[in-house]
Amino acid sequence: MKICAVLRVVPDLVEEIEIEETEIVPFAYIANERDEHAVEEALILKEKAGGSVDVLGVVDEDTASDVDEPLAMAYAKGADNLIKAILSRKTFRRYEVAKGLAEFLKDKGYDVIFTGIQAIDAFAGTLGGMLARCMNLPYIGGVVEVDVQNGTLVVKKELGGGLLGEYRVSTPAILGVVSAERPLKFVPFAKLKKAMKEANIDEVDIEVPEIEGIDVLRYYEPPKPEITLLEGDPEELAEKLVEVLKEVSVL
Amino acid sequence: MDVGEMLETYFERLSEVSESERYKQCLQCGTCGGSCPYGIASPFTPRRMILALRAKLIDEILESGAQWLCTACYTCSYRCPSQIPLTDAIIPALRELSLLEGNPPEELAAALMNTARYGNPFRESPRKRDSWTKEVEFEVPLMSKKKEADVLFIPECFGAYHRRCREITKAFAEVMYLLGVDFAILGNEERCIGDLTRLCGEFGLFEDLMEKNIKTFEKYSFNRIVTHDAHAFNALKREYPKMGFEKEVLHHTQFLFENLDKLKDMFNELDYTVTYHDSCYVGRRNGIFEEPREVIKAIPGLRFVEMKRIRENALCCGGGGGGVWLDSFIRNFLKERPAEDRVREAASVGADVLVTACILDVPMFEDALKVTGLEGQLVVKDISELVLEAIR
Repeated sequence: MKICAVLRVVPDLVEEIEIEETEIVPFAYIANERDEHAVEEALILKEKAGGSVDVLGVVDEDTASDVDEPLAMAYAKGADNLIKAILSRKTFRRYEVAKGLAEFLKDKGYDVIFTGIQAIDAFAGTLGGMLARCMNLPYIGGVVEVDVQNGTLVVKKELGGGLLGEYRVSTPAILGVVSAERPLKFVPFAKLKKAMKEANIDEVDIEVPEIEGIDVLRYYEPPKPEITLLEGDPEELAEKLVEVLKEVSVL
Repeated sequence: MDVGEMLETYFERLSEVSESERYKQCLQCGTCGGSCPYGIASPFTPRRMILALRAKLIDEILESGAQWLCTACYTCSYRCPSQIPLTDAIIPALRELSLLEGNPPEELAAALMNTARYGNPFRESPRKRDSWTKEVEFEVPLMSKKKEADVLFIPECFGAYHRRCREITKAFAEVMYLLGVDFAILGNEERCIGDLTRLCGEFGLFEDLMEKNIKTFEKYSFNRIVTHDAHAFNALKREYPKMGFEKEVLHHTQFLFENLDKLKDMFNELDYTVTYHDSCYVGRRNGIFEEPREVIKAIPGLRFVEMKRIRENALCCGGGGGGVWLDSFIRNFLKERPAEDRVREAASVGADVLVTACILDVPMFEDALKVTGLEGQLVVKDISELVLEAIR
């Protein structure tokens, strides 16, 4: 089975993020957690069904090197080929990104393409679905387990409310992963460093056309609410609190 | 990995640790298992581990999870008649195999990955490592500005980030400030010293941390390192010299003892009954027994009582050797934590305050107080907190 997993990088929220008028500048990037699970599930499927796993790192020109370590991590876990797709884009329209990736992926002959269902910097989490639309393939999201039964894919999907569903999925297909069926495999430091030296990463440039009609006016944090600390003995405090509640028309 | 590869990898690692050949001299006496805080629950005590290794059943040890039932308390190594480095080699090398297989207990895996990425196990920003200095009313000098100092103070990860342990860091820094010590910290340049990564078998990460830390140390001029973190003290004293680092390293109990004459003039009376817990890497591993006792006994008004298991025979808090990240894993095997046993012991000798000297002890024992219902009856304090209280 020829398997592909998409791996994006997102701002590392442990570090602070600088918000400028027309730019958001993260201090560091980290692998998107859901995509790490997509890679893990791809490797699990390879264990079950045989074949190969290609990991497709998706980055912008200015974050191109930030995906090297996550790609090496995938290699250390057993991925076969690493590809870095460098998007040259000015637009942030995800549909155009999906179109560009689909153009690259369409003739590669993958039976299954895994993506994480969402990323912390993309509420919509729509890459999988949009890729499927662009490539005219079936898409199923919410995936928590993938099996091969009698030569076809059987996918377990989380339905919410604690319910699960099982689906037969014809290949080629795109699967959106919530979490892999086992915890992410641990890679010791020395093994990761060795993988970073040994792993060969192919690079491809993907042109994303600029879309007119949407321009960033500004990025900003919502204003912080004003906090007033009331001080005094309990009776005083109660009186002050009543006044405040009257002021804001709660009482 | 098949069994052959596992054994090859295991013995290759073992050969890198000095005196590890001694495992061949194991008498199968069982002193280790009888001494182990988890011996009663472990499917493979150190004695059985060596027996299984001789029988090439290494995969059975790993499948049982016994390699994670170790707090690195050093009691087995200390008592072993053949002086086999059980804590420093036999068990960490087994743990390394689990790491290579990719399936250590999840909380521990996260702590190790965070340490590799951020230089601390808490997933905190390295740029906030010195944030505790903003919570004190005196200036804590930074090496990057000061360039030289008599003492380089290492707060280490727990002391820099853990909410309760930061109080200990602040207390010890204030004691140094009040003593007029010429000290400085690395601030955000500091990263994990790494003793727990070593004891967990993450040897590659430990080496990387040592290299980076030594490089940082070499940027500045100082005479010695002082730390209140018992594991940092152990690694800096015993492991870093193997990489060429040769500065004097003191545990804060030694430093307080060294300054005892000065402190005595500053001490005010305190009205407590206290007992002292010999932390594994202060006492048993590094032989510091008298210094903390002398400091405590010098505080006027304190009544000092000993517990039954003291000095070399003290019971571990359960936090060392990665134990602090293995709580839920170990609970599958054992229902009572060693820390719960220990706080009961402290209460049974009539102590109001349990004094400790390892930064892991305080959160471990405070959690145990909640579980045992002793909260309110017994208080846990690091020795530096007690000293600060006496001189304020």
